Amino acid sequence: MNGTPRGLNRFLLSLIGLILLAAGAGLIVLVAVPSAATWWQNYAHNQVAWLRDYAEHSRLILTSQSWVWFGVAALLLVIVIVMISWISSQGNGRANTLLDISGTADDDGAAGAVRLSCAVAEQALKSALLERTDVFGVSVTSYDFRQQTALKVRVLPRQGVSPHLLAHEIAELVVALDELLGFEVPVVLSIGSAARSRFTKAERVR
Amino acid sequence: MSDFMTRVLRRETHSPRSGWSVVAAILVALAAIYALLESVLAALGQPAWLVHPLDALTWIADLPGPYPQILLGAAGFLMALVGLIFLGNGLLPGRRPRHVIDNPRVAIVVDDEVIASALAKCARVAAGVTREQVMVVVSARLVQVNVRPTSGIRLSEQKIQAAVESQLADMELDPRPAVTVKLASSGVIGV
Repeated sequence: MNGTPRGLNRFLLSLIGLILLAAGAGLIVLVAVPSAATWWQNYAHNQVAWLRDYAEHSRLILTSQSWVWFGVAALLLVIVIVMISWISSQGNGRANTLLDISGTADDDGAAGAVRLSCAVAEQALKSALLERTDVFGVSVTSYDFRQQTALKVRVLPRQGVSPHLLAHEIAELVVALDELLGFEVPVVLSIGSAARSRFTKAERVR
Repeated sequence: MSDFMTRVLRRETHSPRSGWSVVAAILVALAAIYALLESVLAALGQPAWLVHPLDALTWIADLPGPYPQILLGAAGFLMALVGLIFLGNGLLPGRRPRHVIDNPRVAIVVDDEVIASALAKCARVAAGVTREQVMVVVSARLVQVNVRPTSGIRLSEQKIQAAVESQLADMELDPRPAVTVKLASSGVIGV
């Protein structure tokens, strides 16, 4: 539910995959088919000769080298920057503010603002869930997703706990949270298995 | 269920492809940084570090050149294979092993492992065997319950199936899997 750009991930992965696939397939064809190899050498040598010629003609006075290499360097710099911003866009989108309402004097009698931190809802849910004995670990985080703040609850139950019973009890907790806050926050509940619950022995007391 | 919640559930049940994206971005960035170094050296008229860009292009234009065909073919095959892996990661749906439990207020996703361990407990109680004799495999549309009976005690397949199916019906999973129960032909002794 975080801000990972999934469409961009898939597009760029497909693009890189296609380029690598085409280059690899081309190399195999060059090795396997001699006539393709001669055509490629003719074609590519013409292109390289043109580039060499152009680089000779376009020398700058200052460095006595062609500006073509500056252009290539600028293009590569853009690619590096795009790649770094692609990496840094993975998994962002954490939220801090759950509610931000500013009131005016003629609206409800007092000017000012009410600002609720996400920690309010997070702590309320977490402390309620940590009391349970059938749950190993709880984490509650909030995210901004599509201009809306939503809570994500990750619960790691012990082995053999019925997920639907646990889920319905947590849904009741969320309804209680709605009453506490006075408005409904979108909540996502993810029930997973912890590495710790896999290695423990059979339940003795339940 | 609102449009917002269906979008959230789709994101929770499908892989974001972050890991492969980071790997691809690092590889492309490293290659671009090296090429950047060489092109800046060429632009300033300094001697190349490893190879001048024009010489590199000439080397590519010379392919297949005087190199062993097997080596070049293997390199091409490897490159195509890596490309195919990236392409598959970009195009395949990438479902995570999770199911959705329907609820009007909360969007709920459950890992298949949790469902499996709950169903294993249910099957174990219905069959009256120990924990080690039951193995449950949950996939998107199928729940496979494998039970190894204790030697000399007959187990009823229908009873186990009914118990697991009623537990599964209570869960109200989406997509709803079918149940198959398999009793092993040989039993275990000394449990």
